[in-house]
Amino acid sequence: MSKRLSPLRHVRGFDVVRPLSIAMMMAMMLPLVLLPLASIFIFGTSKGLDTFWTSITDPEAVFALKLSVVTSFWATGFNVLFGLFAAYVLSRYAFRGRNAVIILISMPTAIPTAVAGFALILLWGPYGLLGRFLDPRGINIIGTAWAIILANIFVTFPLAFGVIKPVFDTLSRSLEEASATIGATRWQTFWHVTLPSLRGAIVTGALLTFARALGEFGSTILVSGNIAGETQTAPLHIYSEFLRNRVESANAVAIVLVIISFAIFSVLFLARDWLDTE
Amino acid sequence: MQTGESKSTREGANSVVIPRPQAETRGVAASVRSLSKSFKKTPVLEDIDFDLAEGESLVLLGASGSGKTTILRIIAGLEEPDTGRIILHGKDVTELPARERGVGVIFQAYALFPRMNVEQNIGYGLRIRHRARKEIKETVNGLIELVGLEEHRKKFPSQLSGGQQQRVAIARTLAYNPQVLLFDEPFGALDAQMRVRLRREIHGLLKKVNLPAIFITHDQEEALELGDRIAVLNAGRLEQIGTPDEVYNRPESEYVATFLGAANLLLGVIDNQAVEIGTASIPAGAEAARFRDGQSVKLVFRPEDVVLSKAGQLPEGCRRLTNGVIEEKSFVGAYERLTVRLDLVARQSTSGEAPLYNVTITTPEKRTGIPIIVTRPKPEASATRLNINDRIAVGLSAFRVLPNYTLGTERAGKLVPSQRT
Repeated sequence: MSKRLSPLRHVRGFDVVRPLSIAMMMAMMLPLVLLPLASIFIFGTSKGLDTFWTSITDPEAVFALKLSVVTSFWATGFNVLFGLFAAYVLSRYAFRGRNAVIILISMPTAIPTAVAGFALILLWGPYGLLGRFLDPRGINIIGTAWAIILANIFVTFPLAFGVIKPVFDTLSRSLEEASATIGATRWQTFWHVTLPSLRGAIVTGALLTFARALGEFGSTILVSGNIAGETQTAPLHIYSEFLRNRVESANAVAIVLVIISFAIFSVLFLARDWLDTE
Repeated sequence: MQTGESKSTREGANSVVIPRPQAETRGVAASVRSLSKSFKKTPVLEDIDFDLAEGESLVLLGASGSGKTTILRIIAGLEEPDTGRIILHGKDVTELPARERGVGVIFQAYALFPRMNVEQNIGYGLRIRHRARKEIKETVNGLIELVGLEEHRKKFPSQLSGGQQQRVAIARTLAYNPQVLLFDEPFGALDAQMRVRLRREIHGLLKKVNLPAIFITHDQEEALELGDRIAVLNAGRLEQIGTPDEVYNRPESEYVATFLGAANLLLGVIDNQAVEIGTASIPAGAEAARFRDGQSVKLVFRPEDVVLSKAGQLPEGCRRLTNGVIEEKSFVGAYERLTVRLDLVARQSTSGEAPLYNVTITTPEKRTGIPIIVTRPKPEASATRLNINDRIAVGLSAFRVLPNYTLGTERAGKLVPSQRT
């Protein structure tokens, strides 16, 4: 049996399994990942680059892309800072309930984003837990860009933390102790010693958070109100255009989002040596 | 292990021991006063006391778990003692945080900052003190020259060898003029050859900068070579502190004797200024005078202090112990190593108590007697060849008599080790 099989595996020193495996993997990837991406590009440019250009320079589309980038940026900034701080506290200090906090922080990944959206409405909406106190003062968060940022923060919460925390855990204590014996304050030690060692994790966490926030749909559609030119992010714009049967226009914005994600993950992949934390 | 009257009985037996200036003549750089510390109710340090003189190198020697690292961390301010004080140059620093103590710690894995190059690592202590750029540059240049890393100044730690990293670590501490240098297992991460070379290097460097230093190690050879004095720690207690010559030749406890080099131990009793071991007896003079007649003791002697003679003629200054038979013989590099079975028969006790030493019975020959290890330097081994089963007279050129605590009858002072058998 094996005697009959062996010539198949190796034909005169040529490893058959290698090209077969590669071909099979590509064949599986094709309908699952590659073709959907390709179809966006194919349909987005099917009516010529002019149509693509008018779709993409449409004020509503430009606004939607800008809003997505800006809200994602703030959400990223907050989540990196918070993730860094939370990782520092949770890996440096042992306290009661520490593990519970770690589990809670990681939870938003598994919650459906639509649930995240109405959870925010139940908190900040006019009748919400906090919103009912703000509403009489004329402060309204739901239906504004703030709501989008809050939704992005909630949904991308665990990403930066999840990348930074393990690096913190493996960071040698003796580096910080060395810095202390040399005469550095805690802040100097953090700034000159700890932070540089975390730069890879921080950049990786930030890029992942940004990419995720940029594509956020489920929670933002609930909390933003989806008003074109006001609270419509790029994913919402794509959805609305699609419903209005303007597939090329939806595709044009989608192409921009795809290119941004491609750029982000290229950086993550190509700069992995630089990002690698010793 | 000196006998009563002989002046130098072990000439050339141990070339590592070099007489060094006594510590007492210099000022005190650091003092550790009755230091105690427990981790979760388990005592790791008990009443540790010692002084470090200006320019002196002290080695804390002990097995893992002896508490030596904890002492170092407490001096550095990285750990707090339960009781006791740390005094650096007359100033009590026990309550000061690590950064205000001005001690230089060379960590085991050097703990160089991976994102800084050699220059930046060395200049770190000055940068965080906000010194002028020019001053930092001059100091760093001077230190790079001192440790001989001129060609590597722009390299990052990951591009340096272990020895180079260590030199950067030392230079990094020297930059801010530390009061004392603390070395945590400085050669632990290096291979045997590198160790010996770096040991010499550091020793030379320390003499150049003339800073007091404390080394931590579990390697006795390292301790003997690096230390002006050695402090032997065992299970959180200071067993003995003294010059390498003192701790090696006059160990005050069985632990010190066996941890610092090899030692043979024979159980005996004191009888009229002699140590009686079963059917044999060896005059002990001043060594025995410290004990009462009938007190249970241990006769401790180094393998290199045993003199063997086929003719039965032992040289002067050497005391005859008994006769024996060569049982095993092997070459261990620079010397010959013999196992000699001594003709010692258990003295039958009258009151039915246990014999004072072991009688080994090995089948099939049912040999009796006690095996000891003897080493002879090459020239001696080739001058008088000894073969297995040769009968020889056994004498000792040096030995030490220590109280035998393991019988549980005589316990006194701080020599009592923690329940070892």
